[in-house]
Amino acid sequence: MKDGRSVSMPPGLPAAWAAVTAALVSPVAPPAAPDETISDALALLCEQGLGQYVEGWLLETLQVRLTTDVAPEFWAGLEHLDGDSQERDRARALLDAFRTLFLRLEPFLGGLEQLGSWQNEGRGGLVGPGAHGLRERAFSVIRAILLFSPSPVLQQRVLEFYSRTFSVHMRQVREGLEGEEGPEEADGECVCPGCAALPQLCWCKEALEQLQELSHILSRLQLLERVSSEAVTSILHRLIEQRMEQRCRGEYESSFLADFNDWLEQVLGWLSRVFASEVGETGTRSVPADSKPDQPGGAILQRWRCHMHQFFCRIYVNMRIEELFSIIRDFPESIPAIEDLKFCLERTNQRQQLLTSLKSAFETRLLHPGVHTSDIITVYISAIKALRELDPSMVILQVACQPIRKYLRTREDTVRQIVGSLTGDAEGCSDLANELSRADPVTLETQDSEDEGSDPDEWTPDPTDALTDKMGSKRRSSDIISLLVSIYGSKEIFIDEYKTVLADRLLHQLNYNTAREIRNVELLKLRFGESHMHYCEVMLKDVADSRRINSNIREEEARLPAEEQPPIPLSAMILSSEFWPQLKEEKMELPAVISKAMEAYTHRFEKLKAMRTLSWKPHLGSVTLDVELEDRTLSNLSVSPIHAAIILHFQDKSTWTLEELSGALGVSQELVRRKLALWQQHGVVQEEAGGRYSILETASSRERPERAVMLIDSDEEGDSNTTTQSEQREEKLQLFWAYIQAMLTNLESMTLERIHSMLRMFVATGPGVTEMDVNELQAFLQKKVRDHQLIVSAGVYRLPKSSQ
Amino acid sequence: MASQNMDPAAASSTAALKGNETGGSVPKGSVSKRLQQELMTLMMSGDKGISAFPESDNLFKWIGTIDGAQGTVYEGLRYKLSLEFPSGYPYNAPRVKFITSCFHPNVDENGFICLDILKEKWSALYDVRSILLSIQSLLGEPNNDSPMNSVAAELWDNQEAFKAHLHATYKN
Repeated sequence: MKDGRSVSMPPGLPAAWAAVTAALVSPVAPPAAPDETISDALALLCEQGLGQYVEGWLLETLQVRLTTDVAPEFWAGLEHLDGDSQERDRARALLDAFRTLFLRLEPFLGGLEQLGSWQNEGRGGLVGPGAHGLRERAFSVIRAILLFSPSPVLQQRVLEFYSRTFSVHMRQVREGLEGEEGPEEADGECVCPGCAALPQLCWCKEALEQLQELSHILSRLQLLERVSSEAVTSILHRLIEQRMEQRCRGEYESSFLADFNDWLEQVLGWLSRVFASEVGETGTRSVPADSKPDQPGGAILQRWRCHMHQFFCRIYVNMRIEELFSIIRDFPESIPAIEDLKFCLERTNQRQQLLTSLKSAFETRLLHPGVHTSDIITVYISAIKALRELDPSMVILQVACQPIRKYLRTREDTVRQIVGSLTGDAEGCSDLANELSRADPVTLETQDSEDEGSDPDEWTPDPTDALTDKMGSKRRSSDIISLLVSIYGSKEIFIDEYKTVLADRLLHQLNYNTAREIRNVELLKLRFGESHMHYCEVMLKDVADSRRINSNIREEEARLPAEEQPPIPLSAMILSSEFWPQLKEEKMELPAVISKAMEAYTHRFEKLKAMRTLSWKPHLGSVTLDVELEDRTLSNLSVSPIHAAIILHFQDKSTWTLEELSGALGVSQELVRRKLALWQQHGVVQEEAGGRYSILETASSRERPERAVMLIDSDEEGDSNTTTQSEQREEKLQLFWAYIQAMLTNLESMTLERIHSMLRMFVATGPGVTEMDVNELQAFLQKKVRDHQLIVSAGVYRLPKSSQ
Repeated sequence: MASQNMDPAAASSTAALKGNETGGSVPKGSVSKRLQQELMTLMMSGDKGISAFPESDNLFKWIGTIDGAQGTVYEGLRYKLSLEFPSGYPYNAPRVKFITSCFHPNVDENGFICLDILKEKWSALYDVRSILLSIQSLLGEPNNDSPMNSVAAELWDNQEAFKAHLHATYKN
């Protein structure tokens, strides 16, 4: 084409081309030709339809130069240092490489600028994309060639250099904050904290200048984002992580948000240096009116600030999720950590991660046989408190604590522990007792009913990770007591257990002092409702009545003549048998004196309360007695009735065999032997050969054991007087099994629901036998299936053929 | 009965109510209480070879199961019975019949049983357990003087043949 035209080529054309191209590649020098010449030349070129080739030629030239010379030179400049070069040198090399790059490219950039402005002016009829468009195209050429496959060394160097400038910057900020306390790296300091070089070699200042220049170059070449983003990102990541590890890990008692915010602002200062040229350029450089407005520095920094906050939140949440178990354990000291976490968690999408991690932490650290039940309950309580702070919707609480609740259900002493700590009996666990006496408790009764007070406007949807159960958020309670009580799904269990605990306490102290128990019962009444605590009230009333009856009978006795005074002062605790938990039965023959006293007491009671009588529980109670021996007296010993009965027998006869004693007392020899241990420890009785026990009238006849060592026969002393919850439970299960067997024998096969409703209908439940819910029943049946006592298929249970 | 999702306490009270409704006009609270008690006794007794349980939520209709006693021709066979308690129970005898057809001198083809304690000799002191035990022993020791099934009565003396016929006709 060109060749074809060249025949009729106008005479001035080559000269015009030469003038224009010369003006474009060396714009830095004063224009090679005066403006008019250029204009004429352009006009000529355009006339010939060659105007559009100017820009093509320029870009082509740029690309060729870049590929052949500039880019290789740049990489060589970067890489010529290796191995054991000094950091400082590497920084210089980096800067030099970019300097050279800029130097090489500058003429072209100038040319482009020139051409662009011509195009904009439309000089000589030149048309084109204009300065802005040209620049865009040139820069994409540069980026494409230079950074198409950048050598890793570039990233390394940039990263290194930025890290360095970062620490220099932070040092300066710190010094700025600390005021003019004088240079701390006076003489003792061996390296400058900024550049980690010896003070005399400190290149902090230089580094900052280099940073500024580098930023400037990069920004001019529009390479800043491309080259630095990755490095800056990874530096920020690393630094935040580092700082967090140093400051926050294991520290739950103070909030780090503000601290980190300040720090992030300082970091932002450094970022503003990195992106300084962009920031500054908007102001200093004269922007051609039509060129695309440079990204304002403020916006860049704003973006980085958001990034940093996001980094921070995510890293923080990650760390705290790892530590959440410890944080919960340390609650309430760890409230600041919880609040921080809450703040950050709202900004990241890590709830699922938190749930999974917390659940597994619970399982590995808490829910295994090595942990005491009371500790599990304590952690559970802390978790309730901590997680309701963290997530007011209670969803995390509900989901994460599911395993704890399931596990607690398998522990036998759970109920007892909870009841114990409710009433403040358990040591070191006053949380629940406090919770119980809290004002404005949530009644377990009303909680189920529709919540009238809630404002529909305040309704918020459940988070997506909520368990989809029928209960809905309304039932998702955060009340500690109701959560604990609901572990078993029924409050009856707790009330029964409380009854046993109460009975134990009342029977153990025997001093009619019930102030504390009355308070507890009243508090529990607020929780569980009047009707459920009825039995307990009767028990307390029994105690009060007993006291009254006792003093009545005492008065009556006091009026008797001296010879008719009863030999033993007897006080009775009169229990209404219907209302107290089942007491352990133990038979024992009491010495005649005592039985007589009891009879007399019964007699008086019958007179006082017509139509009623007493049935004594001789093994419960306590006896205060003095033991008078030849050379010594043990006074005011408080022992159990059987102990007293044994020693009383020695009053008649100084030597007894186990057999004789067991016959006289009507209890087993084994028990007698155990009970004798107490008197042996007191040095009152000694065992002789042939299983004979005799009284030690004189202390000198045998070395008396230290009085301080009061090893009471330990096996029973701490025992409860009532049958335990688990024993009752075992009994109940046995009974249920008989019913289930019978119904399956006669009705062949039944579904779980049918069995359950049959049991509920036909098992006559007396007081003390608690309900069994469907899940519990299912678990029980599954166990029977495993033991091959039951077959299940398609949800229908039947008995195996062999057992029929 | 749609009580699955109810409060347990409420459910047990409705169970008692049901007993009342089905019983008829006579006050039934005490009857169902007695039956409940009998059920409990039966469950706790742990007798082998006899068993009974209410058929549905109606406490007045039970299904019973009797295994033939060891050493009798009925050994290894299992019989189902139905027990219906009248509203006048325990002063009136329950109606007891075999559901499983039973080849026996004192049992007719409809399963009706000829047993004195279920008729004229009934006493309020008997209970489900004693009825079932009596029927179990009746199997091994029939009263051939007043047979309801004369074929069975005639065959009884030949135990071998009786057993063969019994097992051939036994259908569970």
